[in-house]
Amino acid sequence: MSRLASIYRELRPWLKLLGRRRGRLALGALLMAITAFAGIGLLALSGWFITATALTGMLLAAGVAASLDVYVPGGGIRFFALTRTVARYLERVYNHDSVLRLLADLRGGMFRVLVRLDGQALSKRRASEWLNRLTADIDTLDSLYLRLLAPPLVALLAIAGLTLLIGVFLPWAGALAGGLLLGLWMLLTLGQARLGMAASQRRVASLDRLRSRAIEHVQGLAELSAYTSLAAHRRRLDEHQQALYADQRLLGRRAALGNALVGLGVGVTLLAVLWLASLAYAGGVLSGPLVVMMPLAVLALAETLGLLPSAFTQLGATRAAARRLNALGAAQGAIDDPKQPAALDSATPRLAFEAVSLRYPGALQPALEQVSLCLEAGQRLALLGASGAGKSSLAQLATRLIDPQVGRVTLDDQPLAELALHEVRGCVGLLTQQGELFDDSLAANLRLGAPQASDSQLWQALATVELEVWAQQAQGLATRVGEGGQQLSGGQARRLCLARLLLAEPRIVILDEPFAGLDAALAERIAARLDHWLAGRSLLLLCHQRQGQPLATLGVSDWTQLAAGRVVASKHT
Amino acid sequence: MGPQDAALTPRRWLGRLAARQRRLIGLSMGAGLCVGLATIVQMALIAGWLSALLVDDAEPAALAGLGVALIVVLALRAAAQWAQEVAGQEASLRIRQAARSELLAHIEALGPVRLGGRHSAALGGQLVEQVEALDGYFARFLPQLRLAVAIPAVIAVLVLWLDWLAAIFLLLAAPMIPLFMALVGIGAERLNRQQFAAVSRLAGHFLDRVRGITTLQLFNRAEQASAEVHAAADDYRRLSMRTLRLAFLSSAVLEFFAAVAIAVLAIYIGFGLLGYIDYGPSPQLTLFSGLLILLLAPEFFQPLRTLSQHYHDRAAALGAADALVALLNVPLAKGTARRQPSDGQSGVSLDGVSVTFAGRGRVLGPLDLTIAPGECVALVGPSGAGKSTLLQLIAGFVDSDTGRVTVPAGEVAWMDQRPLLIHGSLADNLRLAAPEASDADIERALEQAGLGELLTELPAGIDTALGERGAGLSGGQAQRLALARVFLSGASLVLLDEPTASVDDDTQMALIEALKALTAAGRTLVIATHHPALMGMAGRVVRLENGRRIDEVMP
Repeated sequence: MSRLASIYRELRPWLKLLGRRRGRLALGALLMAITAFAGIGLLALSGWFITATALTGMLLAAGVAASLDVYVPGGGIRFFALTRTVARYLERVYNHDSVLRLLADLRGGMFRVLVRLDGQALSKRRASEWLNRLTADIDTLDSLYLRLLAPPLVALLAIAGLTLLIGVFLPWAGALAGGLLLGLWMLLTLGQARLGMAASQRRVASLDRLRSRAIEHVQGLAELSAYTSLAAHRRRLDEHQQALYADQRLLGRRAALGNALVGLGVGVTLLAVLWLASLAYAGGVLSGPLVVMMPLAVLALAETLGLLPSAFTQLGATRAAARRLNALGAAQGAIDDPKQPAALDSATPRLAFEAVSLRYPGALQPALEQVSLCLEAGQRLALLGASGAGKSSLAQLATRLIDPQVGRVTLDDQPLAELALHEVRGCVGLLTQQGELFDDSLAANLRLGAPQASDSQLWQALATVELEVWAQQAQGLATRVGEGGQQLSGGQARRLCLARLLLAEPRIVILDEPFAGLDAALAERIAARLDHWLAGRSLLLLCHQRQGQPLATLGVSDWTQLAAGRVVASKHT
Repeated sequence: MGPQDAALTPRRWLGRLAARQRRLIGLSMGAGLCVGLATIVQMALIAGWLSALLVDDAEPAALAGLGVALIVVLALRAAAQWAQEVAGQEASLRIRQAARSELLAHIEALGPVRLGGRHSAALGGQLVEQVEALDGYFARFLPQLRLAVAIPAVIAVLVLWLDWLAAIFLLLAAPMIPLFMALVGIGAERLNRQQFAAVSRLAGHFLDRVRGITTLQLFNRAEQASAEVHAAADDYRRLSMRTLRLAFLSSAVLEFFAAVAIAVLAIYIGFGLLGYIDYGPSPQLTLFSGLLILLLAPEFFQPLRTLSQHYHDRAAALGAADALVALLNVPLAKGTARRQPSDGQSGVSLDGVSVTFAGRGRVLGPLDLTIAPGECVALVGPSGAGKSTLLQLIAGFVDSDTGRVTVPAGEVAWMDQRPLLIHGSLADNLRLAAPEASDADIERALEQAGLGELLTELPAGIDTALGERGAGLSGGQAQRLALARVFLSGASLVLLDEPTASVDDDTQMALIEALKALTAAGRTLVIATHHPALMGMAGRVVRLENGRRIDEVMP
């Protein structure tokens, strides 16, 4: 029972999400139930009808006057046949619509969780395979209703209906059938879930392990073949495949067991009902047509029960997906907005790092150790250091993409965590190294920085980074930038990101390698325009080294040097 | 199995894979046929029981024999059904294993260079997902394909014998069966194609937003972006519902015929039994034959309905096979040059070699180069000059079209800009180069590569686990780890492709010192580089341009 409770706990957030569309889902289940009942009705009534006609025919043949109303049952049979077809079609269309609505809810909800995660949690999970798995997990959960909720519910309803149908004429036969079928239902749901739980929970993880070995094998082809260790690595890959397939084999066999059980269980129930009905007929308490109707109604139930075994054998996979997504939502790496945020007084506040330390989970060495640094209002400071020295970590701290583990980051002596998130990020602007662009138009990408900006403002920003001519030659502001900005060269993409930052008008500007990949003359021209724009703002310029940077043009004379997460030298005038 | 021809098509490949597990697939089909036959017997027993009870006024006790027979048939049917599924699954598991082996063997034979254009992560994913996508086709669709013809045929014959007029009702539907299948097939295929396109568009939108999540956070667009993600998914719903409404119609047609067939037969049999129909075999109808026909009617359509449920398995397998066969069709263009081991020495000798890539023409040669054992040679030249190709030729990743290549037999040490880091411990990563190496050897190699200091900071030492793709290591540390592999391997010939690119100055200097130590140890080094310090330490600089040697400088 405690196991059931823990499954329920893990699925509860998702069941709650389903609950928001309660009415819709109930109607979908009702359509499923109508389909099931029409199927039972069709077979049961047909059996009844044939038997009634046969017995009446025999009486007529024997010269006994007898009559049978053929029109009502005939109409009933046609009604059930049509209802079954129409209800099944409607059910499929309606329920797929529901599932797709749920998918939209899940995607939107999951994205809301993701945008609250901090840089640490995100950087750990940046790999696109992880994103693919996230989507797959969401897709697994959207089948929760169609595979795991509605079918067992409808099966229960059908069992209850059948019990009633038989019980009206022959109470103990109804009770026996109901009892047997309820037992079968338990075996097919709870039993199958238990049989498949461990192996189906491992499914995604085993698949991930196999995938990462396969990627290693392809990526490392050069080294593996040079060192003649292809075969050795291949053995590792094969081990993962064996483990995966051992689980699949187990699950397949257990699902097959459940499927075989459906036929057997329904057959045994049919036999029991047939036996009791026959005894009742012999005892004169049951008419012939009803004797036939009962087993045939039981037979029609097999289709409804047949959906259960494979769905429930894989319950563990749904559970594991829910657990992964729950963990993501509960990640301690979430950035929270303060309940009662403080306010900033000055337009351009002073940014200070006070003895901050930071260590990424899983990293062998700390990213920052006891770093203190201050950027006065209007100051322009270069932050120097090799890649991995800690520059980008400081930039992430200043924009509250990460919170420090030790020390604090302040704006005008107020800790960032006490300021409203939108105020921090509105005040401190960051041009990251990756420069993320979205698969959308130039205008849409620029307006991320300033949703209200007019077209002429966008053109002006493009002119500042010398993309104006290029954009005019392309499709203007409607030019698509492609997935991740693929349609643009690396240099164009960086300049576009810079233009976007300019439009956002931050007071404190942090630029991470803004001129990487640009030729020196272009860098100088852009720097000259930036110098003008920077009047009254503060600047933190992150770069490898002083050489080759347009520092003079930007008016940057102060610098601080970082190495291995520590400040090693600085010059302030 | 014929020789591997270039025109391998997805269907032919699937056929070839199936042929290897013909016995298991046959077993699955055979068991499926047994299920069908057991179902027929089961229905006959039920009809027989009811007929005996109601028409022949048999005592219930006299029917016990029929009951026992029914139990036996039910058990047999359950066993056969289990065997059908398990045999199909086993066939699918073995086929997927074989398919993955074939693909891996092909990838290994192609080598790193000819695969170059492909994204390795995507390719690795293909090896997993797309091979797994073959599952349903072999496990369920293929066995069911024959059953969908065989079982209805057996039932039709039986009904024909019971009442030919009833059989005609069923057989009227029979010519429509191919039509059903085409309908269902077209529906499923279109559904699958459109659905696939829409799904990947939606997934693309989602991934695009997640990749750019930092930017959305920085510009305070989190809430708006969440709403957009929801809206995009909702658009997708509207779009795909249009397709689905149509696609479901094709299976509704099948359902309709199945339901109508039962209704029509029930009414025909009923009227026949009442004696309203004088025509043909109707007067001979009994409760037994009538009930049996009624019970068999749904079973006549069931195999087809099952097949239509598995139709998407076929579409998924064909889609996956399409992509996988494209990979298998990348030709293993073997060069014609002779490649022979140098006699126990670590020297390299290239005589009149040249390398051509499809679409790019000749990228290297004709070229002669002799490297003596123990020499350190720097290959320099602008990018695209053929430095990497020359290294790849020596390593054996590409073949020369002409001339003769003489290289040491056995392994060579290799290091490039993106070292392979596997999921496992530091020691696992190093043992790729020397599986038999002792822990002490590994520690020494790490020290020689300048990772000694890091090692002392790690409580678990060489057993420290690295995350996927070496998560936890900086770029410079990763490069030093690759260097430690060079130290650990006994290979006398060491090939280095831009070993100092993309690392910081400190690491660069450390790497150069370490390479000097390798030369001092008598190893033969060939280094493609732009770095002046590396050129300086080389005993000889070979300059390449447009794939030819233009200069040779003895410093």
